[in-house]
Amino acid sequence: MPDEQELVKRCRAGDREAQRELYAQTSERIYALLLRMTSSRDDAFDLSQSTYLRAFERINQFDGKSSVATWLYRIAVNEALQLLRRSATARGKLKELETRQPGDAGAGADIVRMDIDDALGQLDGDERAILLLRYQEGLDYRMIAEALECAEGTVGSRLNRARSRMRALLGGSYGRREEEDVGAHPRSSG
Amino acid sequence: MTCDEVRRQLGALIDGELSPDLRLDIEPHLAGCEACAAELDELRGLASGLALPSVAGVPSELWASIERGLDGERTELLRRSPGVRRMARLPWALAAVVTLAVGLGLVGLLRNDSSARASSIDFTLLLDALPHDAKQAFTKFVSHYDAKEASPEDAKLFAPDLNFEVPEELPGGFRRGSVYVLHFGELAGVAATYDRDGEFLGVVFHRPVHTGHCKPHKDYPCVAGHQEGHKVSVGQWRLVHLMDPTTCHCVLSRLNEQTELPPIMSAVAPPLPSGDGGRHRD
Ligand SMILES: [Zn+2]
Repeated sequence: MPDEQELVKRCRAGDREAQRELYAQTSERIYALLLRMTSSRDDAFDLSQSTYLRAFERINQFDGKSSVATWLYRIAVNEALQLLRRSATARGKLKELETRQPGDAGAGADIVRMDIDDALGQLDGDERAILLLRYQEGLDYRMIAEALECAEGTVGSRLNRARSRMRALLGGSYGRREEEDVGAHPRSSG
Repeated sequence: MTCDEVRRQLGALIDGELSPDLRLDIEPHLAGCEACAAELDELRGLASGLALPSVAGVPSELWASIERGLDGERTELLRRSPGVRRMARLPWALAAVVTLAVGLGLVGLLRNDSSARASSIDFTLLLDALPHDAKQAFTKFVSHYDAKEASPEDAKLFAPDLNFEVPEELPGGFRRGSVYVLHFGELAGVAATYDRDGEFLGVVFHRPVHTGHCKPHKDYPCVAGHQEGHKVSVGQWRLVHLMDPTTCHCVLSRLNEQTELPPIMSAVAPPLPSGDGGRHRD
């Protein structure tokens, strides 16, 4: 895309208008990804900020092999994963307290069904990232491989693993239990 | 193909990443196998659940805060070691949190860190909301410090320790809007808004606070008229602080501090009476 090349060129020269333009074109996607990665507006804000600062700082390293958007996704995911790793312990404990109230464990499982975002929050950061890049952001496997810096051939199996974990967490409506009680499940009847 | 083999490919199928050959193998199986077809439905449901657009828009202050980073704080931001970053966020990042916290009614929790202690006045709250709507940013800032509208006379009574004036008109044709009394923790503050044909100017007066807290943004020494101070720029806007021993005078405007600002500073920050008298009191 010639427009994109031109924009990148101007960003390299430190052109503030170009930087703002690149931000305007991509920030909605980047912020949305980071918001869902972190479930926190202030984390998403901070991470978006550091994503763009790093991007502008390193724009000379952008080789044009992927799109700028994919390249920004890569920076954003790295920023998010770093943050999630740092706060994994604290956050994990908090989540445990929130989601595993006494009494919820057994009979509660049928009543309190985790929603998609709750389940996402239980996944590891890289599982969350790959699911969001694929389904929220609509990246294809090649772009995902570029954004996550992994081999394209591993994207499919990574997605399979992440989806399986989601379905296990979501229980009844998306999960493995389906196989046991197909007939009884309203969604499967008909 | 067995059900297991088929199911391993269903993800790639919904992702549109299956090779045409494999698709041809799988589709007949799906047509005849209810369990695998149900599994495919589940995966599609999950995919569309994940695809739900996020409801929150990009915060309007985000670009301004990136721009500030570009203007000089980048090195500091990136240099911070990961371990301390959460605790020692840059103040303007903290302001974003504070702003949100106001919206969420969580401000009580954050007060210990920001506004409760008199020594920390969080101008980032103001600066982060620039440059889109300076008046709104200013209003947000003062309301964070419990602003109450007051007459200029009441403001003087309210903050007898401060050396300031809020004349009805400032040099350059700015007319006074509202005057507010503020609470910076235990300490009194005063603010006023001015307007010149839709151009906003705001002033804040407070006791000089610990320097580290008074200038959280990247700021530069400046001289306006006879006083030395420092300024922070956000876009066209600049917040200039000039201090005398009793009072920090802060003016938010788009005015040039060399030429247009000095007469205004003189009007809102009258020279202290010489000697030990005046309003100064500890
Ligand atoms: Zn089958």
